[in-house]
Amino acid sequence: MKKREYHHYRPYMTRAKQLLAVSLIVIFCLLPLYYIFITSLKPDGSEYKLPLEVWPSQPTLQAYRTILGGGDINFLVPLRNSFIVSSSVTILTLLLSGLAAYAIARLRFRHKIPSLLFLLMGAVIPLASTIVPTFMLLRTFGLLCTLPGLIIPNTIYNVPLCTWLLVCYFAEIPFEIDDAAKVDGYRPLQIFWRVIMPLSGPGLFSAGIFAFLGSWGEFMLASVVIMGVPSAETVPVALLNFSQYYRLQWTWISAGIIVSVTFIVLLAAFFQRWVIRGLTAGSVKY
Amino acid sequence: MKVEVREPILALLFLIPACIGVAALYYYPIVQTLIYSMHDLHYTLDWIKQPATLQNYLEVLHSANFWQSFRYTVYFTVIGVSFQLLIGLGMALAAFGLSPVLRIIVRVMIVIPWVIPPIISAMIWKWLFNTDVGLIGYILVRCGLVAYPPAFLSIPILAKHCIILADIWKWSSLMAMFLIGGLAAIPQDIYDAAEVDGARPWFRFRKVTLPALLPTISVAVLFRSMDALRTFDIIYGLTGGGPGTATETLSSFAYKFCFEYGKFGIGSAYAMVVFLLIGIIAVLYVSRIQGVLRFRK
Repeated sequence: MKKREYHHYRPYMTRAKQLLAVSLIVIFCLLPLYYIFITSLKPDGSEYKLPLEVWPSQPTLQAYRTILGGGDINFLVPLRNSFIVSSSVTILTLLLSGLAAYAIARLRFRHKIPSLLFLLMGAVIPLASTIVPTFMLLRTFGLLCTLPGLIIPNTIYNVPLCTWLLVCYFAEIPFEIDDAAKVDGYRPLQIFWRVIMPLSGPGLFSAGIFAFLGSWGEFMLASVVIMGVPSAETVPVALLNFSQYYRLQWTWISAGIIVSVTFIVLLAAFFQRWVIRGLTAGSVKY
Repeated sequence: MKVEVREPILALLFLIPACIGVAALYYYPIVQTLIYSMHDLHYTLDWIKQPATLQNYLEVLHSANFWQSFRYTVYFTVIGVSFQLLIGLGMALAAFGLSPVLRIIVRVMIVIPWVIPPIISAMIWKWLFNTDVGLIGYILVRCGLVAYPPAFLSIPILAKHCIILADIWKWSSLMAMFLIGGLAAIPQDIYDAAEVDGARPWFRFRKVTLPALLPTISVAVLFRSMDALRTFDIIYGLTGGGPGTATETLSSFAYKFCFEYGKFGIGSAYAMVVFLLIGIIAVLYVSRIQGVLRFRK
C-alpha cells in the first residue's frame, strides 16, 4: 500500500531513489563551485600540487587577505561599485516598470498590447547588436567611466523582463479593489501608490531580485563603458582583468570568484521561492 | 467621472519613462547599427558622407570566418539547449518526487548555477578545465578514460565542447526552474485518472506529463535559444574565441570586429545577422505567448 498524504498529490519515489536523485543534483550544481572554494583555501602556489586533495591539507585564508587586505589588489572597490550599481538599478527598474506595468495591467486605454510588445520586444535585441551605438550615446552624454553610465543602461536592460513579471502580477489583483478605492475618493496615482504597490510586495520583490542579479552579472556593457578605469570597475570586469593580470595565481582568482558570488548565491538561495515563482509566473500561466 | 476621463492620459504618462528608455537604448541603437553595417567604417563612425551599400554584408557572407562562427553558434545552441532541456527536465521531475525537505534542498541547489554570472562561470570552468590540475581532467584520468588529461581549451574540437559543457551547467538550472513551474500547473485530476486506469510511471510520463508540459517546454526552449544565439560572455571568458577562431560565435565576432579590429562596418553586419536570427525565434515566441496577452479593456 502506497502511503499518500493529502497535499502531496504525486507519489514520492522510494527513499533510496530520492537520496540518489538529490545527491546527483547536489553534485552537478555544487561540484564546480566546491572545487573553486577549496582552491581559494590553499596556500599560494600549492594549487598546482598533485595529487588533488578533496580538502586542502593546510587550509588558509591567505588568498582572501591578499585580495581584500587593501594592498595592490583591492576587491573592495569593485564590490562597492557593484552594490551601488545593482541597488540603484533595482530601485529605478522597479519604478519605471512598475509604472508601465500598472498602466498596462490596470488602466483603461487603447493600444495595450502594442505598448506591451514595444517594451518586451526590446529584450529580443542582443546587446552585441547595440553596443557600439550605445557606447557612442553614452560618450555624447559624458557618461563613460562613470557609475551612472552603467546604472542607466542596466536599468533599461531590466525593464522588459520586470515589466512583464509585474504585468502578470498586477493583473491578478482583483479589480474590485480599484473600484472600492475610487469610491473612497482615491485618485489614480493614489490607487497606484497606496493600494496596488503595497499589495504587490511579493511581485515587486521577485522583479527586484531579477534586476539586482541581472545588473550584478552584466559584463559586455560594463567592459566597454568602464574603459579600464579602476575606480569605476564592477565585480565581473574587475575579476576578469584580475584573472588576466595574475593569470597563474589561481588561489587569488578563486578567492575573488568566491567573494564575488557569495552574496548573490545567498540572496538567490534564500529567496529561491520568489525567484522560481517570478520566473514561472510570466512563462507558464497559460 | 472626472477620473475616468483622465485614465488614458495617466496611462500615457506612466508608460512614457519606460518607453523612452527602451527606445533610446534598444531601438535607436539597433537602427544605428543597421546604418553602420551599410557603410565602410574603419576606425571611424563617420558615415554621413558615404553612400549606403551592402558591401559589408557581401564581404561577411563570403568570408570563411562568418560561416565557421555561424555553424558554431547554431551547433552550440542546438546541442546546448537540447542537453539543458534533458537535464532540466530530469531535475524538475526529480524535484516533484521528493519529500518536502529534500525538495527545498533541490530547489536551492537548482538556483545556484543560474545565479552565477556567465563571465564568472566561464572563469570557474577555466580552472576546472586546467590541463594539469583541473578537476575534469582528474576525473577523466581516475575513471581510466585517458592516460593524461588533454589540453581541453587548446584543441579546437575539445574547446568547442568544453564551452558547451560549461553552458549546460549554467543554464540547465533555468530550464529546470521553468519546468518546475510547468509541472506545478498540471492539474492533479489527470494523474488520478491515469492512476485509476492503472497507468505505469513511464506510460504516465509519456501520455500525461509530457503532453501537458509541452507548451512550457516549447516556450522555455524558444526563450533559451534566443539567449544561446547571442552567447558572448562565456566564450570571452573561457577561450576568448580561440584556439584560432574555433570557438568564435557571431556575437563574439561582432564585438571583436568593433572593439579590437576597429572595423565597425563589418562588426555591425555581424551584429545584424545575430539580431536577425534571434528576431526569427522571437516571432515564433510571440506567436506562442500571444494567447496570454489579455487585459481589462
